[in-house]
Amino acid sequence: MYAYLILIPFFSVIILNLPFRTTMKKAAFWACLVLLLAQMCLVVFSAIFPGCSFFDIFKTLFKLDFTADNLSRVLLFSIALILCVTLLVQKSILGDKERIFNFVNMLLIILVGMNGIVMVRDIFSLYVFLEITAVSSFILIGFNQDLDAFEAAFKYIILSVIATALMLSSIAIILLLAGDTSFSAIASTVRLSPHRLLISLAVGIFLCACFIKAGLMPFHGWLPDVYSAAPTSVSVLLAGIATKTVGVYTLIRIVNSVFVLDRSLQHLLLALGAVSMIAGALAALGQRDLKRMLAYSSISQVGYIVLGLGAATPLGLAGAIFHVFNHAVFKSLLFVDSAAVELETGTVQMDKLSGLAKRMPVTGFTSVLASLSCAGIPPLAGFWSKLIIVIALWASGHYAYAMLAVLASLLTLAYLLTMQRKIFFGKLGQDMAEIEEAGPVLMLPALILAVITVGVGLLFPFVSILLKGNLLGG
Amino acid sequence: MTDMTLLLPILLPFFAGVLVLLVPRRFRAITEGLALTAVLLQLALTAGLFKKELVFSLPWLGWGLEFSLRLYHFSAFIILAVAGFGFLIALYSTVFMRQRPCLKQFYAYLLLNVSFTSGAVLADNLVVMLFFWEGLLLALFGMIAIASKAAFKTATKAFVIVGITDLCLMLGVALTGSLAGTLEMSRIHLSLDGWGSLGFILLMIGAISKAGAMPFHSWIPDAAVDAPLPFMALVPAALEKLLGIYLLARISLDMFALGADSPVSILLMAVGAVTILFAVMMALIQKDYKRLLSYHAVSQVGYMILGIGTAVPAGIVGGLFHMINHALYKSCLFLTGGAVEKQAGTTELAALGGIGSRMPVTFACFIVSAVAISGVPPLNGFFSKELVYDGALQRGWVFYGAAALGSFFTALSFLKLGHAAFLGKIEEKNKQVKEAPFSMLLPMLGIAFLCILFGVYNHLPLRALIQPIVGPYRLQGHDFAGLPENTLLVVITLIVLAAALASHLWAAKKKGSALKATDHIHYAPVLSGIYAKAEKRFFDPYDIGLKVAGYVAGAVFWCDRAIDWLYDGFTVNLAAALSHRIRRWHTGNYSTYLSWSLIGLIVVTIFLICSR
Repeated sequence: MYAYLILIPFFSVIILNLPFRTTMKKAAFWACLVLLLAQMCLVVFSAIFPGCSFFDIFKTLFKLDFTADNLSRVLLFSIALILCVTLLVQKSILGDKERIFNFVNMLLIILVGMNGIVMVRDIFSLYVFLEITAVSSFILIGFNQDLDAFEAAFKYIILSVIATALMLSSIAIILLLAGDTSFSAIASTVRLSPHRLLISLAVGIFLCACFIKAGLMPFHGWLPDVYSAAPTSVSVLLAGIATKTVGVYTLIRIVNSVFVLDRSLQHLLLALGAVSMIAGALAALGQRDLKRMLAYSSISQVGYIVLGLGAATPLGLAGAIFHVFNHAVFKSLLFVDSAAVELETGTVQMDKLSGLAKRMPVTGFTSVLASLSCAGIPPLAGFWSKLIIVIALWASGHYAYAMLAVLASLLTLAYLLTMQRKIFFGKLGQDMAEIEEAGPVLMLPALILAVITVGVGLLFPFVSILLKGNLLGG
Repeated sequence: MTDMTLLLPILLPFFAGVLVLLVPRRFRAITEGLALTAVLLQLALTAGLFKKELVFSLPWLGWGLEFSLRLYHFSAFIILAVAGFGFLIALYSTVFMRQRPCLKQFYAYLLLNVSFTSGAVLADNLVVMLFFWEGLLLALFGMIAIASKAAFKTATKAFVIVGITDLCLMLGVALTGSLAGTLEMSRIHLSLDGWGSLGFILLMIGAISKAGAMPFHSWIPDAAVDAPLPFMALVPAALEKLLGIYLLARISLDMFALGADSPVSILLMAVGAVTILFAVMMALIQKDYKRLLSYHAVSQVGYMILGIGTAVPAGIVGGLFHMINHALYKSCLFLTGGAVEKQAGTTELAALGGIGSRMPVTFACFIVSAVAISGVPPLNGFFSKELVYDGALQRGWVFYGAAALGSFFTALSFLKLGHAAFLGKIEEKNKQVKEAPFSMLLPMLGIAFLCILFGVYNHLPLRALIQPIVGPYRLQGHDFAGLPENTLLVVITLIVLAAALASHLWAAKKKGSALKATDHIHYAPVLSGIYAKAEKRFFDPYDIGLKVAGYVAGAVFWCDRAIDWLYDGFTVNLAAALSHRIRRWHTGNYSTYLSWSLIGLIVVTIFLICSR
């Protein structure tokens, strides 16, 4: 039944663009919104009633290699959630119907790509969906057609193309050895093949492609420019879920079900994760542009996720996936707030802003919540995922990395509080006395995300049962 | 047999003390009457309990602790003495304290002191004893602090010193309890090996510091100047000596078998000898009536500790006998000091002189008690000191020498005090001085009478009170009542006293003033330097402790600054520098980013190939 998650958006794009599209234009926004909500409902529904066979009839009609385990479900839910937020942000930034229509089209295509990525069990199909996502990302980055955005899109294309080339080379080597591209066949080949050198080469190249896509240091060069130059709605999309799906999810899936997570791979992941975590946080500390700071923060948080993965225990994996979800929530929330600030004041330069919390209470409040969650302050959601990662690192004997993770939390708090102090706290600037709170279309997603980050934190006992049952057991 | 009457000596003064606090300030007579009645009742009660053997026990606080009290000849004797001193001092205070502030608190603390001291003496459980012991600390602090603003500092000093030694006592109680497996004092019998000695020394520190031995004495001379005088006569002179020496006797006689062969015995004797000598040397140069007496209150403790520390029958009996004798004559001396202060308005020796003819009864009481403390026959101090000498000589001539030398200086300083205060030419402004009122004279007379009685008829205290405490087993058939056994020592004592008199007469004549009669010792070549430093409190353990604490605090402060710098300066600067460096690497130049990625790719691939 999960095949529909790819087929329906795909056909929607086609239908929307049939000759009589003028009527479609009005409905496009709502159709997309409903589609995304339906995806969220489906994931939640299937998680609550796992044995339901209502959709099984359709399975007989389409026989495709799409499956969804619990890891995929978390991602499917997050994708739908963040796309919803993206859509609402874009709607409030840009009221023009024509542009919204184009945006919805691109969004549906990227939805096809990301849903495909999280559900395929074949390395070549994975590559295809990665490309779909990447191409629609390029277009979305340049959506506002200004020079900076084009430059950023160009940078993304170049590094992305390199990643793609690496990935294709790796797939070629694997195909040569395994004779098949399905995950299970490759997994057995990787374990049993006598050609150790070639296998290592293929694994190394593929991993580097993932690192580029995920923006781990030192493969991150494209990321800050893209996040800061892209339209804020697209930044929400990219930072919240796109790079996480394209890079981090792929990494998690490949490392866990295809390649063998042995000690050398573990060391590699831990080292890169730690470097990203610390250097990203330090770089964020020195930024003056809000969106650029959030971009470096993203690099740092990806470092956490990779650290959790590197712990190579079920607990570490659970922490990593949980942090993917939490990061999607709080980082999107921060970008939504930056969108509100940019919309109302026309700038995201931190030195030019001050005391905005007085004029924009909802934005100020939600951004504080998101910052605290990001820094891992209890009882917010981010605290729990970071805690799980640190515990997993400690339990698996990586004491130094566990300490670094805690230390990086302090750095995170430092740069986020600096940001809060500069933008939202303190005396209201003279030229900002007339600023007003952003409209309800923008504040609604902010509030929803804030509720999620608080709710998941407070209800963590229940979440942990879900995590245990679904991720560790599954 | 459990008997509730045993609670009375503790509860009666306690509730009387609380009640005194409730009486409105205007009714001074009621306050005084209430306090006097309470101590009189207490005296009657303890007299009734004398010669009885009672125990009382009640489960307390959980953990198997028993609130157990035990009355037997030793504790009965001490609580009787406590009640007696309490009564006499209360009587004395009705006149002396009349114009002072905080009258109610004074009587309340006095009664609480009596109550807690009785409790600590009656207690048969170490924890119960500790409970009352700490209560005394509170009463001590309160009694000094109420005198004046300046006294608060002294009260704090006393509190800190006594508090620290009480901590030692507490540790000693814990250690002893865990070694013996019980906290019941009458069931503890430990030997003085390794841990046992440590337990003994910790308990001993608590006991001798309560008695006021060196080096835990330094608050007493300060309190003598600041605190109300009846407090000095009651607490450091009487109650604390009784209690401290009581505990010392309990631990060395009952709980630990202190033998003459034990190194702890040497330690005790050394503490005693040092206390005798150093404190008396300080007393010698004092120019203030009360301050001079207070140093003697320290010095005389040395005799008791020395006596008990000898662990031979003569020494122990002498030490205990000296305890009650000292309580008598030192209280009397303080009371005469109080009478002089009340009538002449000062206790500075330089401003006194010749008032003996104006205050004949006070002078007579002073003579009796000063002669007693100097150890002149046939007064009580003579007999107890002879016994201590006897015991000390059996253990080594060094200890005897120190004790005899202490006796010489004691006599010398009292000759100086009496001569300077009561004899000589009378000052013009002292001509109007009158004799003290009757209720102040009565306690002095009573105590002076006891001093004479305990000396002339020493069979009474020795046979009825002291020797039963030591027990027939330890006495080994000795009976110390009557004249001293060792005639040679008596002769030496008489020679020492005569020498002191000769020295005083010679020096007073040479210097032309009784006040300067000890100057030849004060300004002797080596001593003058030491005295100058001692006067500046160079040797005061409290001030040394404060100085050390100050250095420690300073060091901790700098550590704190360093840690602050580590957080506020170093870390922030490091983060900023690193952040700046990383920012500078991100030039926006795409070829740089590409080369990073390619270098990363090469490193990752090589690492994986090599390590797998």
